[in-house]
Amino acid sequence: MRRYLSLYGVFFVQRLKILMEYRVNFLIGATSTSFLQIGGVLAMWVVMRQIPSLNGWSFDEVLLVFGLVTISESITHMFADNLWTLGWQYIRSGEFDRFLVRPIDPLFHLLADRFCHDGIGNLLVGTALVVKAMSALHIPFTVATALYLVIAVLTGGAIFIALNLLTASSAFWLVDSIPVTFLVYNTYEFAKYPLTIYGRGIRIALTWLIPYGFASFYPASYLLGRNVGALAWMGPLVAVLFMSLAYRAWKFGLAHYTSTGS
Amino acid sequence: MPVIRTEQLTKIFRVVRKEPGLRGSLKALVRPRFENIAAVNQVSFEIDAGEIVGYIGVNGAGKSTTIKMLTGILVPTSGSVQVLGRDPHRQRVANAREIGAVFGQRTQLWWDLPFIESLALVGRIYEVPPARYRQLLKDFEDTLGLSELLHIPIRNMSLGQKMRAELAATLIHEPRVVYLDEPTIGLDLLAKERIRDFIREQNRGRGTTVLLTTHDLGDIEQLCPRVIIIDAGRLIYDGPIATIKERFGRHREITFETSEATTAIELPRDCTRLAAEPHRLTLRFDRTRTTASQIAAAVMEQIEVLDFSLAEPDLASIVRQIYQGGLREVEGNPRS
Amino acid sequence: MIHAVRREARVFFAFAAMVPKLYLAYNAWVVVEFVVQILFMLVFVAFWRAVYANTTTLGGLDVGQTINYILLAQIVAPLVQSRLVSEFGGMIREGRIAIELLRPVDFQARYAVESLTSLVVFAVQKLPLVLIAGAFLGLRLPSDPAAWGAFALSLVLGSMVLFLTDWMFACLAFYSTETWGLGVVKIAVATFFGGALVPLQMMPAWLRSIALALPFSQGVAVPISFLAGVTPVSDLGALLIRQLLWLVGLGIASRLVFRQAVRKITVQGG
Repeated sequence: MRRYLSLYGVFFVQRLKILMEYRVNFLIGATSTSFLQIGGVLAMWVVMRQIPSLNGWSFDEVLLVFGLVTISESITHMFADNLWTLGWQYIRSGEFDRFLVRPIDPLFHLLADRFCHDGIGNLLVGTALVVKAMSALHIPFTVATALYLVIAVLTGGAIFIALNLLTASSAFWLVDSIPVTFLVYNTYEFAKYPLTIYGRGIRIALTWLIPYGFASFYPASYLLGRNVGALAWMGPLVAVLFMSLAYRAWKFGLAHYTSTGS
Repeated sequence: MPVIRTEQLTKIFRVVRKEPGLRGSLKALVRPRFENIAAVNQVSFEIDAGEIVGYIGVNGAGKSTTIKMLTGILVPTSGSVQVLGRDPHRQRVANAREIGAVFGQRTQLWWDLPFIESLALVGRIYEVPPARYRQLLKDFEDTLGLSELLHIPIRNMSLGQKMRAELAATLIHEPRVVYLDEPTIGLDLLAKERIRDFIREQNRGRGTTVLLTTHDLGDIEQLCPRVIIIDAGRLIYDGPIATIKERFGRHREITFETSEATTAIELPRDCTRLAAEPHRLTLRFDRTRTTASQIAAAVMEQIEVLDFSLAEPDLASIVRQIYQGGLREVEGNPRS
Repeated sequence: MIHAVRREARVFFAFAAMVPKLYLAYNAWVVVEFVVQILFMLVFVAFWRAVYANTTTLGGLDVGQTINYILLAQIVAPLVQSRLVSEFGGMIREGRIAIELLRPVDFQARYAVESLTSLVVFAVQKLPLVLIAGAFLGLRLPSDPAAWGAFALSLVLGSMVLFLTDWMFACLAFYSTETWGLGVVKIAVATFFGGALVPLQMMPAWLRSIALALPFSQGVAVPISFLAGVTPVSDLGALLIRQLLWLVGLGIASRLVFRQAVRKITVQGG
């Protein structure tokens, strides 16, 4: 574990050196995703300044939901972006074989190989939104809330990574796994809004099937003092469950790869 | 004790057989018809510590599938493979620490980083102690001339420089077994020499075992006392380079210089005509079916011969013959 | 002269005929984009229904008009998601740009024809989406053929406006290799200011004036408003004239910008 952490550090520093070679590109990439989120927030603002509430949620409350899911997304974007390109950049080119002749875990190698700066924009926008929402709503920033926030964001990030890992593992069969990942990943759009605006089916799906709800709605509800019961605390459990499921899928895909070589 | 040992090593790929065209694609989708292809078929060999072995065969003969099984990337369908006493797939990480691999033109180095940074990262991955790392850099200096490369990003290197860098990165953790796939492909003569010197030096100095796949005869002649030839998944030769000629050099070429034109001549049995010049006749024959004197007699009966010469096959022509699939016909016939 | 034109037309046709084939080749993508668009529609319908729970009109639009508008906006949204900048980036990186420029057909015209052909493919492809939105999500389409005609006409012109805008933007690929990020920025700006997220009518005056000063709404808000029952067909004339002015302006500007940008590589010999 310690070895992997320090190794990640080395990979990370090397990646930063590469990124710093092209500073302008770094800045464009790092800020680009924030434009998408700003567009979404702006649209929300345009609408919500004209109505008292969205299903009982004020603008700032919705921003908290939006902000939390944006931070969670940024975690997978920064640290696990290579899952998207596993198929066409690593498997098809044969580059993946390189990982298998090295004395480290291939999944670790894949993820460590490229820290993706494109996620930084989302991290900044998400953090700004959460801070703005919490101060506007006068949520006291205590050690307990800070801890809860950190856990919530890590949970959200883990859920994003788990779902991407699950879908990316199809690359061992399909080579181009991007459409599959794209499909599941995009359902996070639902989690930008309070889940109460949707029907029962969608709510259940976003809680148990594609559990992005734990990346935004449930922790936000808890912080806002809205009663969501045990769901306020179940996020980490769900994240662990999905992570282990995804890791099994990865292992299964890897076994397929090592027996067919395709 | 052998360092590498394979026994009846076999890898069978199951592929979907597809007829051409859209209809074929649809059919393959609805009711796929599978076909088993043995990429490697019951291959057994042993390689001892400190050997350099050339592993040759045409593209698709099963070379890279074998290497993938030796490195632990692929699991064999049947048979067994052991490297340094381990199963390279089951004990992948332990195996990976002691082997090094160069995969042709694919680089393991980070494209945009100066070489020294890539090398340091590789050193960290293999946990090379810092003092040892510095020592090796010094050792490699003489033959690879690393100092001029250290601060160049890989993307700006020439092919030869890239391969030197690649080799240094592959050997920085002092692997006991090294797999080199086409290490001199596309390089000029000088660069090739340098790479070969380095491989020889590592082999002699550190006792590194080397399995080399190459299409370059120079590599084989200069580096490999022993050669393993694989064709259509099967091992067809394993032995010293010298006896290849004996074994596969069944064909001889005989050339006649004549005073008259050779165009009308009736060819003796069991030979084929190669060159077609007016006053020169070159014939190729199988020495297990006929002899030089029989052919010479048949020719001299028809035409006045000024001079004639008999050519022994060189390794190059034998390997060419192997690559053109000429060895399959050898298998079909009883060997003398 | 006529001969030359016919030859040109044949070449264009050959390029244009490639587009549907490319679409078929990326079959998985067609299906996936389809499903994702439906998902987004579900999100937006839920959102807007919740919005209208508290009010009867917003920016002068009632709930029916807004849902119509938003669903149609989702269907045409991929039009603003094209990333010519990435395509240019790839060509420049691989050095193909020189070959492309040497071909005996006008470079931009070729892409314009391709873009129009893909609009036809696009229309056919998205038809099922319209039917699904109509059957399950509350999309109410007008029966007046004039509204459909106005929509079709302004969509064709609008998509050309979007194409020329994209063309100008894509010239940034000559200055930066980070084309992925540039593409994302363009999509974000075009989606919002094109009116794909919120109808322009609901925006405060300052935002709306920015949106109108930018070309993107010509390809999104303008055409779909005819079908959504937001813009009466009687406005068609004035809107078409405005679209034509955009086309002329952008047509000239895009060629000037491209010529300037290409100099960047011819000077460097890249």
